[in-house]
Amino acid sequence: MDTRLDSITLSEMLPEVFAGESIPHSEVWLTLCRFERGKHYLIEAPSGGGKSSLMAYIYGARNDYRGHLLFNDKDTSAYSIAEWQEIRRRHIAYLPQELDLFPELTCIENIRLKNRITDSIPDARIDEWLDRLGILSRRDYPAGKMSIGQQQRLAIIRTLCMPFDFILLDEPVSHLDSVNNQLVADIISEEAARRGAAVISTSVGNPLLLHSAINIKL
Amino acid sequence: MISRLLRKNTSPARIAGFMVSNLIGLTIMAVGLQFYLDAYPIWDEEDSFLKSEYIAINKVIDASSTLGDKSPDFTPEEIADLQAQPWAERVGAFTRADFKVYGSLALTSPSDSNTGDTVNHSENRRLSTAMFFEAVPDEFIDVKDNGFRWTPDSEEIPIIISKDYLALYNFGFAGAAGLPRMSESLVSGIPLQLTTVSADGKERRQFYGRVVGYSNRFNTILVPESFIRSMNQRDSDPSRLIIDVNSPGDTAIRDYLDAKGWEQAGDNTSSSATFMLRIISGIIIAIGSIITILSLFILILSISLLMEKNRRKLHSLLMLGYRLEDVARPYLRLTLGASTAAGCLAVVAVILLRNYWLAPLRSLGGGEVSIIWSIILIVSLTIAIIAVNTATIRHRVKEAWR
Repeated sequence: MDTRLDSITLSEMLPEVFAGESIPHSEVWLTLCRFERGKHYLIEAPSGGGKSSLMAYIYGARNDYRGHLLFNDKDTSAYSIAEWQEIRRRHIAYLPQELDLFPELTCIENIRLKNRITDSIPDARIDEWLDRLGILSRRDYPAGKMSIGQQQRLAIIRTLCMPFDFILLDEPVSHLDSVNNQLVADIISEEAARRGAAVISTSVGNPLLLHSAINIKL
Repeated sequence: MISRLLRKNTSPARIAGFMVSNLIGLTIMAVGLQFYLDAYPIWDEEDSFLKSEYIAINKVIDASSTLGDKSPDFTPEEIADLQAQPWAERVGAFTRADFKVYGSLALTSPSDSNTGDTVNHSENRRLSTAMFFEAVPDEFIDVKDNGFRWTPDSEEIPIIISKDYLALYNFGFAGAAGLPRMSESLVSGIPLQLTTVSADGKERRQFYGRVVGYSNRFNTILVPESFIRSMNQRDSDPSRLIIDVNSPGDTAIRDYLDAKGWEQAGDNTSSSATFMLRIISGIIIAIGSIITILSLFILILSISLLMEKNRRKLHSLLMLGYRLEDVARPYLRLTLGASTAAGCLAVVAVILLRNYWLAPLRSLGGGEVSIIWSIILIVSLTIAIIAVNTATIRHRVKEAWR
């Protein structure tokens, strides 16, 4: 893998399940779709449009698609597990829709479990984020006992705890009010700017409040 | 933190079950092996120059053979049939000397001079006897180590005699004739004067004989085949055969010989005992192997079940970017710990159990073998168990990746 991931390109990509179906016009599927480092993308789609699938494809979590996924214009189909793990450690951060927290670990343990892989975020900044998102008081609570909105904010902070060139956010604010949405958007914009990274966020109607985002219809 | 996450759902009972069964299996196997190694020398009266896999056979002498109706010699067909038996690896013929041999021994041992009698009567102190010689093919005798070889210009004939002959002399003849008893090494040190007379009575020759070895299993006097061949004037069918059998004491050999009316020379109870020891040890080792294999399955199943229960967590950790080896490590440690502990306990168990038989076996002449073979067995099996489990764990982790 290159030292920096500058672009992610989808070439004629289509989820296997859509094969043979007539799908409405899409700016992603069955075309050439390119995401570049440093830009903000908002992907809008109705339920069942394949948003989560797209995120999982880019993160290497699934490969049930046709067409090609290119990183820096190079095909990823031959990537080994080790290469994907390196992508997940250094290049692409991913917030899955189902959050994937460990309920038995506390809020801060969940964050540290991610942060200790690369040790890229100092404790003070983590506490600052927790404070800004209003869950510092839940720092030592088991994640499973936090409300779903709190869990979503915890998962967002965890996602930021690594160096990245792209951050994939699958419906990141689906359980948050507009005030929290804006707080989350601010932190993500700051962190993306700090790294020169791209943000790719999906929504079904409650988009992350990013400035100057490119809207893409799935 | 990963260990804490991934070891959740660990069943101590299952791991203990593996350790106990693995310990029992390894211990039984190692005890079987060690007991076999310790007890084997007791029955295995191996002659230094003849392998224990060699037996000598001859035809039973009965009235008809005495009267000359039935030849005690083996025909080429009989030898060929013997050669075709699955248990006979090689068959060699004993070569009889067709010349007469007289041996005489000068008894001038130091122990004898202490008695103070008949110092002047050296004639009385010579033991003279008619003898016979036989030979077996050189490849059946380890000639390198004991000087059992003869060249045409040599005056000294190396001899291997039956241990029974020395016993006959010491416990039968020497006592009755008032002669000193002699040890094996003493006899080996005394040169034996040999006079040979050719079959036609025309040629007499003098040699020196020296006893270089004693056999437990062959009732004969063996000299190098080259010596007999150079002295013999005619060939004859052999009346005794030497056979290299792959498993002495195998009942098939006994059955075959019984059916033919032939007999095996020497005492074969030792080879039967060795055979029984082998079978019993084999059964014990087999039982131990089965228990060890079952314990391996217990461990594989326990770890697989544990990983299956934690599959979701494994997947989540891999999604966070942990490497395969990171998430496999807690399970590898568990396997390593449990297997190593069971292996170490098995080594201790074998060392302790060995004390029960070591003293009695040592007094019988066994127990000379180092315990290292049992330890090597346990260590290599433990490594094998760890290797199989490592492969299983790696496979399971990969399965959790997508």
